[in-house]
Amino acid sequence: MEVLRLQNLQKSFGSVRALKSASFTLNEGEVVALLGDNGAGKSTLIKAISGVFPVDRGEIYVRGQKVSIRSTRDAMDLGIETIHQDTSLAPDLSIARNLFLGREPVNLKWLGVFAPLDLAKLRDAAAALLKRVGISKKLDADALVSTLSGGERQSIAISRAMQFAAKVIILDEPTNNLGVEETHGVLRFVKEVRAAGHSVLLITHNIHHVFQVADRIIVMRRGEIVAEQTVADTDLLTVESIITGADMSALLKETRAK
Amino acid sequence: MPGAKRRSSLIRSPQFSSLVILIVLLVAFAVADANFLSPLNISNMMAFLPELGIIALGMTLLLTAGEFDLSVGAVFGLAPVVVMLLVQSGQVDIGVALLAGLLLCVAIGAINGLIVTKIGISSFLVTLSMLLVVRGAALYITQGFPLKSWDQPGFFVTLLAGSFNIGTFRFYTSLWWFITLSLLAIYVLHYAKLGNWISAIGSNRNAAVARGVPADAVKIWLFILTSVLAGLAGMISAFRISATSPVAGTGYELEVIAMVVVGGTALTGGRGTILGTIVGALMLRSIRNGIVLIGVPGLAYNIFVGVIILAMLILHALLQKNAARS
Repeated sequence: MEVLRLQNLQKSFGSVRALKSASFTLNEGEVVALLGDNGAGKSTLIKAISGVFPVDRGEIYVRGQKVSIRSTRDAMDLGIETIHQDTSLAPDLSIARNLFLGREPVNLKWLGVFAPLDLAKLRDAAAALLKRVGISKKLDADALVSTLSGGERQSIAISRAMQFAAKVIILDEPTNNLGVEETHGVLRFVKEVRAAGHSVLLITHNIHHVFQVADRIIVMRRGEIVAEQTVADTDLLTVESIITGADMSALLKETRAK
Repeated sequence: MPGAKRRSSLIRSPQFSSLVILIVLLVAFAVADANFLSPLNISNMMAFLPELGIIALGMTLLLTAGEFDLSVGAVFGLAPVVVMLLVQSGQVDIGVALLAGLLLCVAIGAINGLIVTKIGISSFLVTLSMLLVVRGAALYITQGFPLKSWDQPGFFVTLLAGSFNIGTFRFYTSLWWFITLSLLAIYVLHYAKLGNWISAIGSNRNAAVARGVPADAVKIWLFILTSVLAGLAGMISAFRISATSPVAGTGYELEVIAMVVVGGTALTGGRGTILGTIVGALMLRSIRNGIVLIGVPGLAYNIFVGVIILAMLILHALLQKNAARS
């Protein structure tokens, strides 16, 4: 079943056409990898979907409904959660406070921003969430995020997205700056997210990771989607050559022939 | 043992070490000079404490959100000057004049906040410029002369600078302002939804924005709050001493920031503590008072204040390192 569909999205910054035209569909319980070199338009595309800035042209459909996304709040309300590289958590806040940042459970709701946090509910919900995603053994909901490792932080950010029943979770370079062990932890987590029925759009530089977790691959180059393939139907070398634009497999054949 | 864990994290917290040092300082001053704890001296300290303390509360919230305000000392000077000029030259009712003074503070804070958030210039540069503009305005409109302040008894004098006795101690209503505002600030920063936002913005602005927190609006309101508290403190001070001067509050910005960081609030944002700020305000006040009492020459006393502040900051840094290692 289709969860997210983009149709002919376009975005320019002055005379730079960062996004010339992008259309693709994301299905339920699917991990789609978005690949491309620096400047290919990947981050422009995800920023448009996550509400950082509006697109110039094109339509976004969520579960078949045409939507307009004008702010990050709009995207969140539509069930689109984006997790950026290192910018998803506030290190000086506890895990519990981070998990509910922007959606804090409060008493006396009529007090608006001055409403008191429901601290008991905050802690219990955080502990329950950590337990559900299987990382409660090590982590205390009251611990500051600054005391966690990079992999633990990514896991917290991803579980936060799951918590709010996000239909689409966008992961922007989730394994950047992580060690081998932690990278595997995060990739395992992505599989769990898919198993729980969420759809994932994975932006990464690392093609090896893509082949471990993704169902489908979308490659962007110079602001356009240039290829869309299921992982089963392709291989690493082919994808690499599409990304760079050079026909690497032909090159390889040539070298071998010599 | 969660209880023991909580206790040890409390002992390692910056406000706790500040509190210990405050107590050590108080004991040292009391031993060195018996007059330090006399009713008269305590009353004196308590008369002056709230005026800087009130500003420090706003500054704590602002610093926690990752910004700071160097124009508070100048606003402290300008606000009562404008009020008294309106009353004396403009024949405006005192209540209306006070309101106008506070609205001026709102405008100054809003300009600071809008330039910092919407144009994206660092708050150091924006509020440094604002310091010059505001101080210059106070000097120009008074032609550099001090003004006589409002001294007729009445509602506003009682509200801002009334005094009362508890035993042999004489306290001003400003102490109630400080206590009430402190409690409100503690509530907002540590228990309300807004406090969660303030800490998050200072800790990682992009993360907060990505979660739908209106970071710019929060910062603008905090600049306004800080400015209004500075103006309020200036009015309280002017009413208490029945005089207002265009140079009142000179250097207060640094003293206030010192109070806040000595209390354990991080200059880089994200970590703020109102209790720490109250301890910091008490500490700087008692240092200034104590070293005069024990006979440090007046001209040398900034040396002592500076050294003690540095020592405090070094201690916080060391504690922080220790905590990170464990």
